[in-house]
Amino acid sequence: MNIVVCVKHIPDPNLPAEMDGKTLKREGVQGVMDPGDEFGVEAGLQIKERLATGDGESGEGEVTLVSMGPAAAMEAVRRGLSMGADKGVLVSDDVLKGSDALATAKVLSAAIQKNGAFDLVIAGVESTDGYTGTLPGTLAEFLGVPHVSTVKEIVSADGGTLKVNRQTADGYHVVEVGLPAVISVTAGVNEPRYASFKGIMAAKKKPVEQLSLSDLDLSGDDVAVKQEVTELSKAEEREGGEIIEDDGSAAAKIADFLKEAKVI
Amino acid sequence: MDFVVQDEYAELQRNITDYIERELRPLEAELDPEKDDVPIELRDKVRRRSAEFGFYAADFPEDLGGSGLPQLGMVLLREAAARTGCRLAGFTVYGPEGPTGVLLAGTDEQKKKYLTPLITAEKSMCFALTEPDAGSDAQNIKTTAVKDGDSWVLNGTKHFITNGKHADFALVFAVTDKELKGSGGITAFIVESSTPGFEVGRGQIGMLEGEGQFELIFRNCRVSEDQILGGPENLGMGFYAAMQFLAMGRLSIAAMCNGIADYCVKLGIDYAKERQAFGRPIGKNQYVQGHIVDSLVELKASKLITYECADKYDHGDAVIQESSMAKLYSTEMVNRVVDRMIQVHGGMGWMRELPLERIYRLVRIFTLVEGTSEIQKYIIAKSVGL
Ligand SMILES: Cc1cc2nc3c(=O)[nH]c(=O)nc-3n(C[C@H](O)[C@H](O)[C@H](O)COP(=O)(O)OP(=O)(O)OC[C@H]3O[C@@H](n4cnc5c(N)ncnc54)[C@H](O)[C@@H]3O)c2cc1C
Repeated sequence: MNIVVCVKHIPDPNLPAEMDGKTLKREGVQGVMDPGDEFGVEAGLQIKERLATGDGESGEGEVTLVSMGPAAAMEAVRRGLSMGADKGVLVSDDVLKGSDALATAKVLSAAIQKNGAFDLVIAGVESTDGYTGTLPGTLAEFLGVPHVSTVKEIVSADGGTLKVNRQTADGYHVVEVGLPAVISVTAGVNEPRYASFKGIMAAKKKPVEQLSLSDLDLSGDDVAVKQEVTELSKAEEREGGEIIEDDGSAAAKIADFLKEAKVI
Repeated sequence: MDFVVQDEYAELQRNITDYIERELRPLEAELDPEKDDVPIELRDKVRRRSAEFGFYAADFPEDLGGSGLPQLGMVLLREAAARTGCRLAGFTVYGPEGPTGVLLAGTDEQKKKYLTPLITAEKSMCFALTEPDAGSDAQNIKTTAVKDGDSWVLNGTKHFITNGKHADFALVFAVTDKELKGSGGITAFIVESSTPGFEVGRGQIGMLEGEGQFELIFRNCRVSEDQILGGPENLGMGFYAAMQFLAMGRLSIAAMCNGIADYCVKLGIDYAKERQAFGRPIGKNQYVQGHIVDSLVELKASKLITYECADKYDHGDAVIQESSMAKLYSTEMVNRVVDRMIQVHGGMGWMRELPLERIYRLVRIFTLVEGTSEIQKYIIAKSVGL
């Protein structure tokens, strides 16, 4: 099975965000692979390993990482390769600076199609910097394949069908989808592995194809930004929360609160 | 000479830090912050998980289950783990309960049977050299092993043995020739803890609460000659085997001390910026700055001594003098640094609410184990012909 995982290089979310006008400053800041994408890479690796033959030989197919970003985004691709992915594709082009989610989806779909036949494309539900959450669906549309969002468990993957559990507000849907397809995975889908020294050294030998827009037969017009950030303001500070004094009914009040929040 | 951390080591440092912050911090939060104890089950859980990701014994050979990480990489990995200040970080890389380089002197069969399960953290061991009447003067141990047919019979008492109670086996040093002593008269035996005559004596509590160290008592403890480290032909070579791998142990302590000092200096700097006295941050006072600056300079020196030693080791140097210097300097340095950082914190530094008080007690051990500071000085003096 050929699996493509989309990975994004973002400014380290553990550090205070720096702005560059109305967009996030991306160059000259400490970057990391979007922590949300580690779940995607792990999901891809686990499917590949599950399909591996009993004697430990990996079955047919491979896990390819696809990323769009500045040259520094190579670090995110390398991280995924260190975790165990087989190869990478990085689309870098000055024209793409400041791209919106629509242009990103267009570029990623072109890169995925150029990479060859695929059975499954995995992305995170949303990025940890932009949070649009629109990319996986848009990507599926461009690729002309079905999309299953917010996958919280991959149940099985064989015979051209993928069976997954899809997170909903009060439970989950069991979904079977014919391949090829795009899925977006939540942070609960697995526990991503950490690359070992062996993995890191092996990654150095793995191929990464670096592409520009013209390699994808796309022009600057194709990826022109169609979305504009008109205003930027700081998020409101969280409010203090409600303190319940126990007059004997505190437990019931807390239970009501949790019910309202749909936690229980 | 290259002073840049190779990107593969930098990546490894990031990975272990991420792992500790994501997986171990929540577990740490469940520990009683005012007690030193870490339950042995939790220790083993962390060891196994860390081995799964290839951190735990990364510097052991790949064919035995390690990652073949050079010592420079291992030093940087240990330092990064210790720098998090997480109380469980110490178990992400092996300590005295884990594989010892000395076991690399074993036969292929011994390495497979004993070393591999240590590298994967499925088992734990203890290193049983010290005795009540012989510590620094290890040649003077009294535990004996006497040949009886095809087997050897051990008698004697060891003490201060870390992990003695939980170890699946002990590497026991015993006299097999009273005349030769250290020059061919001491043999290392691999003794499984289930062997009749292997007894765990009293626990010895030290400056950190918890299980501490243990006495091990051998009473007519009979092992086959195959349990001699390196096989029967290595009879009397126990000391030489241990010497060969001393550098790994010394470097591991140095790396840990550097990481701990890093963490403490960071606490000190943050506090010096934030704590106000006489209307300004305490860090504006030169006396306070001095505590921090002296610590930063000594820490940098310590790291460089350690890295250089590790790099030389990786290039095949015996690093006898260098590893003693690294061990001596880093262990003394971390004691000074923690002491100063407590001073920077004032009364708060003494309180159990902050980690410094526990770290102060913890680091006191490092100038004593794996050769005291005095013994390191003796080795360094000897290395220049004194
Ligand atoms: C927490 C802890 C864990 C330990 N874990 C283990 C373990 O797992 N396995 C194990 O085998 N041992 C272990 N030890 C023992 C440790 O290695 C010894 O304590 C150490 O080697 C010192 O020996 P000693 O305590 O007998 O001190 P001594 O040798 O009696 O030394 C007392 C003092 O005299 C000094 N001195 C001795 N000889 C000389 C000399 N020639 N020149 C100058 N000064 C000298 C020493 O430096 C020291 O200051 C542990 C000890 C501790 C405290």
